[in-house]
Amino acid sequence: MDAVIKLTSQSQGRDRIFRATQYACALTVYLLRNNSERRDLVDKLKSLEKNMSAGRKLFRLGNAVNSIEAAKRSIQLSDRVLCLCLTAANINRTLYFICDNLVWARSVGLLRSIDKDRWNLNASRCYFYSLTMNLIRDVYVILQLMVQRRKDAHFKQKIERHLNESTETAEVIIPQLDAFVFVLLETLRSHPTVALDTVKNICDLFIPLDKLGIYKFNAGVVGFCGFISSLIGIATLAQPSLRIKP
Amino acid sequence: MDAWVRFNAQSQSKDRLFRAAQYACMLLGYTLHKSKAAADLLKTLSDLEKHLSLTRKFLRLGNSVEALEAAKRAIHISDGVLRLCLTISHLNKAMYFACDNVVWAGKTGLFSKVDQQKWSQRSFRYYLFSLLVSLTRDVYELCLLMDSDARYQSAKTSSSPNPSHDPPADCLSSPITSSRPPLMWAWLLRHFRQVITVLQNNPPLLLDLLKNSCDIFIPLDRLGIYPTGPGFVGACGVTSSVLAILAVTHPWLKLKP
Repeated sequence: MDAVIKLTSQSQGRDRIFRATQYACALTVYLLRNNSERRDLVDKLKSLEKNMSAGRKLFRLGNAVNSIEAAKRSIQLSDRVLCLCLTAANINRTLYFICDNLVWARSVGLLRSIDKDRWNLNASRCYFYSLTMNLIRDVYVILQLMVQRRKDAHFKQKIERHLNESTETAEVIIPQLDAFVFVLLETLRSHPTVALDTVKNICDLFIPLDKLGIYKFNAGVVGFCGFISSLIGIATLAQPSLRIKP
Repeated sequence: MDAWVRFNAQSQSKDRLFRAAQYACMLLGYTLHKSKAAADLLKTLSDLEKHLSLTRKFLRLGNSVEALEAAKRAIHISDGVLRLCLTISHLNKAMYFACDNVVWAGKTGLFSKVDQQKWSQRSFRYYLFSLLVSLTRDVYELCLLMDSDARYQSAKTSSSPNPSHDPPADCLSSPITSSRPPLMWAWLLRHFRQVITVLQNNPPLLLDLLKNSCDIFIPLDRLGIYPTGPGFVGACGVTSSVLAILAVTHPWLKLKP
């Protein structure tokens, strides 16, 4: 109970719980869409999802400043690739929050002259760029870790053992691919923070890809991916050791 | 910016900010209505206030659990009166949040059969009880401080070479039984000065007392016990929210426990 209260007392924790619920509703609506007996429940879940989305938009007011602060911190990183990726990601996130705040202002009637759909698309575009930069950072970190592992003599023995033991024809024909996949899986297994962050960003990517029309998925896939990424977000907040650094 | 990031990180602080905005909209709407402003501006303010109110109800989902945990912690306080006041206050707050969640479920259509008016009145009743108990606690703390202040003053005067004429009275003592009104006035004035001094020396108590005093007008108005109108309610709401924000940004201003 203490851990739950600690999570809900943080704005980010509360937002992630609501996000998980929002996408769980979206997923359930998709799964029950053809069930005529549950029409009532589906309508209620749709209404709940809409209310949660609107509520979260209000809750996000002011988050742009958080992203600016994060960008100021990431600009001081020594590794150039990390510095570039994270700063670009944080700046795009700031722009996403600004666009999102404008959409909120339009929806409550504070600003009547802006085009809501256009600014929604702008927000999705900034979110997409931010996620792409985060994924590039994940790939860079994974590659660095893989190179490090390959140099390790003890690990080299492990690879040799794995290649000699395998009886699958495909693995024998393309030993480099097999070795690559083996090293990749070992790296991800020994660095859960990077693995979780990569999975989270990949799941999150489905949402703007769908919204921008780059690649249309069905609502169930988007709901499922959103739900998984929210759960990972909650886990990293509850257990700071699972969060990727910087 | 660092201060904002720290402030933004706590969900309670954000709620206080939105509460201040909600009651500011109410106050602004009333002021503009009085000065016959444009109808669409009034409508925007009214819609914004309703949106803030509903969204705050949504963001409050789960606060019952926090209030129950706070009540569990309050049970271990050593002082009997404080223990009673704080436990009852937190339990009433938990009931208020639970009723508030039911109202939210009704407003968003999750439970359409909910009698929103009835549950809203219930939630305000629990809120009123919680505030009354909190005010009782504030008065009790004030009396304790006045007692200790009176004892300190008497110790000071007894140690000085020329002891003064009147022994300082404590919070609960009655005035000297005399039919002369000026003595009653002197007693009242002395007590009033003592209250002001004690409150000046204890900003957390002063802040909490002011906050609860402003807050109490909101359920009194909504329950129809003492209707004051949207202008006064808005002003009280803004004041108490600003005081609560001060207590968050300056933790030393928060009354403990």
